[in-house]
Amino acid sequence: MIITNRCRTIAWSASAFALLASPAFGQMHPERLSELEEQVEALTEQLGELKAELDDAKGEGDLDEIRQDVEANKAAIRATQSSTVFTDATSVTHLSGYASADYVSVEDGPSAFVANFNPMFHFLYDNKILWEAELEVEVEENGDTNIGLEYTTVDWFLTDNLTLIAGKFLSPVGNFRQNLHPSWINKLPSAPPGFGHDGAAPISEMGVQLRGVAPMGNSRLNYAFYLGNGPKIEGEDGEIHAVEAEGFASDPDDEKVFGGRIAFLPIPSLELGVSGATGDVAVVEDDGNDIEGDPKRGYQVLGFDATYQWNNLDLRAEYVSQEVDANPLSIAPESGKWETWYAQAAYKFADGKWEGVARYTDFQSPHADDTQEQLALGINYLITPSALLKFGYESNKGEPGEITDADRWILQIAYGY
Amino acid sequence: MRTKFFTLVPVAVISAVLGLGMLAAQSTAVADDATTTKQKDPMQFVNGSKTWANTCARCHNMRDPKSLRDDQWRAAIAHMRVRAHLTAKEAEDVLVFLQQSN
Repeated sequence: MIITNRCRTIAWSASAFALLASPAFGQMHPERLSELEEQVEALTEQLGELKAELDDAKGEGDLDEIRQDVEANKAAIRATQSSTVFTDATSVTHLSGYASADYVSVEDGPSAFVANFNPMFHFLYDNKILWEAELEVEVEENGDTNIGLEYTTVDWFLTDNLTLIAGKFLSPVGNFRQNLHPSWINKLPSAPPGFGHDGAAPISEMGVQLRGVAPMGNSRLNYAFYLGNGPKIEGEDGEIHAVEAEGFASDPDDEKVFGGRIAFLPIPSLELGVSGATGDVAVVEDDGNDIEGDPKRGYQVLGFDATYQWNNLDLRAEYVSQEVDANPLSIAPESGKWETWYAQAAYKFADGKWEGVARYTDFQSPHADDTQEQLALGINYLITPSALLKFGYESNKGEPGEITDADRWILQIAYGY
Repeated sequence: MRTKFFTLVPVAVISAVLGLGMLAAQSTAVADDATTTKQKDPMQFVNGSKTWANTCARCHNMRDPKSLRDDQWRAAIAHMRVRAHLTAKEAEDVLVFLQQSN
């Protein structure tokens, strides 16, 4: 800036000198001429000083200093812009998940603290490919830590409305298992009977899935179709003990299971879904021992679900059944059907900080000791929207003397992060 | 016979859905633009807030937009695009809303 001003002075000096040298100045008064000559001499002196300063500024030491200043400024700019550059990156990652800690008190039984957490990983590339996975980590009764893979999928966004999913995914059958089971989402501390492991609702599947949406004005049709390995059958004492539908990486019967769900939303607050699956399955385990070559038999799943929200009221209902056909040549020849349904109402009050919940469930199994009828009541305090303190009481009715017949109360803190 | 039926039907259905989807693949350009956080259409914020209110609360409590950074919302919304059956446009609108509200 200083140098620029000096340059301007030099320009004025040169102009003045040119005027003095012009013929017109020969006609001026001698005193005025003398005054101008003094001014020219003063300006010439300043010009000399300025040239000296310019020569100094061109020294190597000053240039190095300027270069260092420029580099420092660039580094400072990069540092302040780093967060913005990060958000505009092609790839982004995100670690999320949920965790819960419970205190469970069983009627006429011991009470205990339990805990688990489910980390979830999301890796997105350019809104084209998403890899996502979830682990389930829990402490077992004997103190061992059990780690399971809930799902791992590569999701390819084929079009604006359609995604191809490959890997192990949560079963699209019904609504609870794929959307509502995380502890910070589930409004009660436990899953409805029949919606857990070895129940009536499939847990997960290994295969491929097409998942999308068909917008229709204010309405929409959500859909998901899949092809997978299907479940395995556990036999015990010559009967089918349970259907394990948890996404196995093998298919002993070599027949894939095809299924899916279609949900219609006439308005955003109402969702009506129908699900189904069909295929073949085979007994692969009998009395705890692996077996091979048991003949396959038919397998069918049917489900209905409904969700409705009105102001602070949240209503849900869901029905799911799994059925395995008979096969007289099998080690467990008889057929079996597992079915369950629940209806749930929840209401938020006190500015949404508190929530009351009631749920009724009826789970029917071929085995009387698994059959259970449950009325669950709960009250939740929302520490934050994703952190809940839940207190629940379950009135259970099952086979007398079985755990399914024991009432429970559960205190749970759940956090989705 | 039954085996062939149960093998061919699902393959045919999935192939048909996949084929129809690929025919519409040109429209994925909309989704690609969501990489950047810059608002292109002022209505995106409005539409995003509506979709956020209508869709997210269908399953869970509404999370505070400030709970995640811009880049974290990108990955989280991609996850929810799959899980909640959002269109690319809806996902992009919700992302704009959350990124401008955090």
